[in-house]
Amino acid sequence: MIFSKEKTTLAYTIEKCPKCEKLHRRDFSKGDVLFTNSSKCNFCDGITTIEKIFGEILER
Amino acid sequence: MFSMGDETNPLMMLIWILPIILFVFYGQQIQLLVTSNEIKKGIKKLDGFRVNSKKELIDYVKENIPSTIDPTKKIEQFLDYFTIMPVDMDPNGIVDKVRHTVRSRETYTRNHVKSLSPEISEIELSRIQTLLEIASSLQMIYKIVNHMFLTAKKQKNYPLILPVQMILPFLMEHAKAMNAAIPAFKKGQPLGDGIGPMVVGKMMLNTEKEIISFQTALAKIEYKHRKLFLLKAEGPGSTVGRPDDALQKIVDNNKIDAVIMIDAALKMEGEDSASIARGFGAAIGGIGTEKFQIEHIATKNKIPIFSIVIKQSVTEAITLMTKEIADQADNIRSQVYEMILENTTEGQSVVIIGVGNTAGVLQ
Repeated sequence: MIFSKEKTTLAYTIEKCPKCEKLHRRDFSKGDVLFTNSSKCNFCDGITTIEKIFGEILER
Repeated sequence: MFSMGDETNPLMMLIWILPIILFVFYGQQIQLLVTSNEIKKGIKKLDGFRVNSKKELIDYVKENIPSTIDPTKKIEQFLDYFTIMPVDMDPNGIVDKVRHTVRSRETYTRNHVKSLSPEISEIELSRIQTLLEIASSLQMIYKIVNHMFLTAKKQKNYPLILPVQMILPFLMEHAKAMNAAIPAFKKGQPLGDGIGPMVVGKMMLNTEKEIISFQTALAKIEYKHRKLFLLKAEGPGSTVGRPDDALQKIVDNNKIDAVIMIDAALKMEGEDSASIARGFGAAIGGIGTEKFQIEHIATKNKIPIFSIVIKQSVTEAITLMTKEIADQADNIRSQVYEMILENTTEGQSVVIIGVGNTAGVLQ
């Protein structure tokens, strides 16, 4: 359709540090699985776990 | 010359009468022509989905399975496999027959995928199995719609095309959803349908887990002097597990006082996506055999079944989980605990089942 916008789904991963409870949002990367250990926390020395994985629709 | 008031003008009469004659004798053919064009567009889209799903599946197998054999021929063979449902003239024992047929097909698919490469991991196997089911379903939808359309056209029978016209928008919605689901399954991302496993999976973290039935994980925890049996499909592969078999095993060895099921449910038009509703009865979709078995166990042992459902559309249920649904996980979990306290007393036991596809969700 001429006036319909192109929709793209962007996937995001939310990491949560169990130590300082801080959340960090980043792009989803291959191999991300809910509740697995992810990366080192940016705010303390804790190891973050993946709390959520979701998609957001971007219309252009 | 063309004055509207002049009713005796022969040219005017012809202009009025000709279309009436045309519609009386050729009305159905004209309607058939107009409807055919709409259906043709739909069939073209369905064909596109069918071709795309097959291509995506073959590409995925080639990229992820170490094999020297070209999988294309084997996959093409499988896509045309059909399932004949048992005869239901005598409905006695039909559920067992349907379960046997469906499970035989599942086993066949697993073995078929395994034959592509014996060293394939369970997670890859479950993903390919799901992609095969999608491609096979899209192929079937295309074939059926195309057959109905061509039959109506061949017979030049307008009423024959009406059911196709009526059902096509619903089929298109399902086909679009299945086509849109492919990237999420390939990447192993959680789906909207995975909200049940997501809620229970988090409750199972840091506990000892066992595999109680095929692709189904169990963990036992204590909550405010109540014993909880947590059940979900074994993640992060793409599977729904066998919660009915698992429940049977639990009930055989324990006295259960309540069952709580958490599942995604199709929202009605006008309902908000990701809204939560509580109710009674077994919240589980599928062909119906698992629901039947769970209800049978509950009735036989006089166990009440409570449910929490998270409303979503067909597309939301089988594509990457939306933010709105993911944000409800903590809320649902607190409602589960609330439900346990409301419906049980200290010393009692509850089975909590996270129903749905557990792709991308660990426990």
